[in-house]
Amino acid sequence: MQASPDTPATIALIGNPNAGKTTLFNALTGSNQKVGNYSGVTVELKSGEAFTPHGKKLRVLDLPGCYSLRAPSPDEKVAVDALRGELPGYAKPDLVVCVVDASNLERHLQLVLQVIEIGLPAVVALNMVDMAEKSGLRLDPAKLSEELGVPVVPMQASAGKGIIELKQALRHPFPVPPQAKWLGSGDEELARRGFIRDLCELAARRPDAHQLTLSDRLDAWLLHPVWGWAAFLATMFTVFWAIFSFAQIPMGWIESGQGAVAAWVEALIPEGDLRSLLVDGVLGGVGGVVVFLPQIVLLFFFIGLLESSGYMARAAYLMDGVMARAGLSGKAFLPLFSSYACAIPGVMATRTIDSAKERLTTIFVAPWMSCSARLPVYFLIVPLLLHESEGSWKQALVLFAIYGLGTLSAFVVARVLRGRLGPDAGANHFLLELPPYRAPQWSYIFRHVLERGWAFVAKAGTIILGLSILLWGLSTYPKSSDETVDPLSHSAIGRIGAVIEPVVKPLGFDGRVGTAILTSFAAREVFNSSLAVLFRVEESDDEEATRASLRERISAATWPDGTPLFTPLTLISLIVFYIYALQCLPTSAVVAREAGSWKWALGQFAFMSTFAYLAALLVFQGGKLLGF
Amino acid sequence: MSPALGADLEIDSAMTLNQVGVGCDVMIRFLTGPGCERLRDLGFCEQLQVRKLAGGRNLICSVCGTRMAISRELAEKVMVAPLR
Repeated sequence: MQASPDTPATIALIGNPNAGKTTLFNALTGSNQKVGNYSGVTVELKSGEAFTPHGKKLRVLDLPGCYSLRAPSPDEKVAVDALRGELPGYAKPDLVVCVVDASNLERHLQLVLQVIEIGLPAVVALNMVDMAEKSGLRLDPAKLSEELGVPVVPMQASAGKGIIELKQALRHPFPVPPQAKWLGSGDEELARRGFIRDLCELAARRPDAHQLTLSDRLDAWLLHPVWGWAAFLATMFTVFWAIFSFAQIPMGWIESGQGAVAAWVEALIPEGDLRSLLVDGVLGGVGGVVVFLPQIVLLFFFIGLLESSGYMARAAYLMDGVMARAGLSGKAFLPLFSSYACAIPGVMATRTIDSAKERLTTIFVAPWMSCSARLPVYFLIVPLLLHESEGSWKQALVLFAIYGLGTLSAFVVARVLRGRLGPDAGANHFLLELPPYRAPQWSYIFRHVLERGWAFVAKAGTIILGLSILLWGLSTYPKSSDETVDPLSHSAIGRIGAVIEPVVKPLGFDGRVGTAILTSFAAREVFNSSLAVLFRVEESDDEEATRASLRERISAATWPDGTPLFTPLTLISLIVFYIYALQCLPTSAVVAREAGSWKWALGQFAFMSTFAYLAALLVFQGGKLLGF
Repeated sequence: MSPALGADLEIDSAMTLNQVGVGCDVMIRFLTGPGCERLRDLGFCEQLQVRKLAGGRNLICSVCGTRMAISRELAEKVMVAPLR
């Protein structure tokens, strides 16, 4: 099967999870897909372009990691279908690059043999040879190549070593598919295993004594029943504390920059609707959200750091016992933890879970892991609840409690739901590879953080900007000719607020807060911009005044009878509502796709919205009964 | 000793991975029951050497240079014998 001269040949990268396929893919194509030190970071097929040393174009497919071609989990099935050319929209690969971890040849060669058996031309990329040699393994790539009948290229993709040699091996004409010489008359499995055993004895000799590696020694502490948990909790608390305190400095810059721009606009444009639109609508609305960019960037940075260093798999191991109480396994930890950053990658990461029912349950509860889009709302409300002089560690504690409540509720619902779905058809057991600890790949972490940060800014520039302008229009028009009437209550939004008020009043909110909540159903961070627009926060040249203006406006807001609107009880009720409400259209879309039905997504939305309303109702009415 | 008797003796002397002490090196003799395919894919093959690194709810084993965490139920299917 040779590609014609004008259509580029298709090259597929296949290998066990965490063998370094994505690193190699990035090195070949120059793109920046996310790389983790955790099984199953690539759950979708990615395609890119590369060039041979002679300038011939190649189409490169990065397949999800799989252990064998028998395909029990959905991400592995994608890989198998792609190899057979059964995936719609993708041509059957002309050549397969089997990426193997040189320190684990006994295991990784299983897949190589299965690929050769399919009858596709293959090249073996013997990755991470540096790690293997450091552990004392003596490799003989020439012998491997001779025995397997395919080219074997030793390389270290993370450092860019061996990429040129691999590209040389991808030249036309491709090697002919070798004979699967291990296959005889007997059992295939047995034949493969015997062949691999003999091959490894020849070409990858291990030192006789089992050596205790640095990872082993670290694990003795980090997976210890007592110290391991202490380290886990300390790590998690440090992450949240750092997000709260480190981000203050860049947030100050953004706020003062925003104030300066507002002052410049005010000096440039005379008093009127246009100035009001730019200052109150655009700057106030978008600025109220963009200011939280540093915190979101930090959260993604820490998740990238934990994943890339290899600690995430340890966390999954530690959490398995806890997850079991919720009817889930340790494998659900990564999807749920990723959901702290954003539920979308979290829901997609559930594909690594083998059990279909556990996967559905994890998808269902994932949005309750407080995502980064809720952070702007929390960061606005938490300081109102606590006085500034109380120190950032108290705020961190409250934030920790918010995350804890969401997580705990998610576990309770998961347990109930998992019980209702019934047991699995086949037994599924906890099985997880603990990768060696590695120095984080900084360039990939930074590129990933940049990508997510940019996505957030782009959202602020589109959805949030649009909604801010719409809200400004609704809160400005129609104008009343009567000077004595409050312009806001006469405006369209004032009327909408009046309609909503009876619905949200039992929760302790007025029409304006109700409207802000309503607008945040497309994307929850819009709540901040809505409040900024609805409470008419003025930009000022004074930095300090700008920083606190929204909070001051909100804390000064009153009911018509003069009693303060935002009592501590109202604030808690608001926080509780935001913990539980599913206000994110993209998440619902991804849930519908991953769960395979719109019913699941709609049911999730209806359940979470109702639950949020009832929980906030309970908090406010219960608190009032108790005399708060 | 007949070969059949030898095989019987070997099966009798085999123990599950759960019964092995932490820090011991053992060799996998055979796998029993469903779920074995998955174990083999992950490197728990017959004749391979395993070191048990930690016990508890899930075991941690080192098999051909990789650390794997596996559940007790799965470890019950892995029959091992001391290294000769």
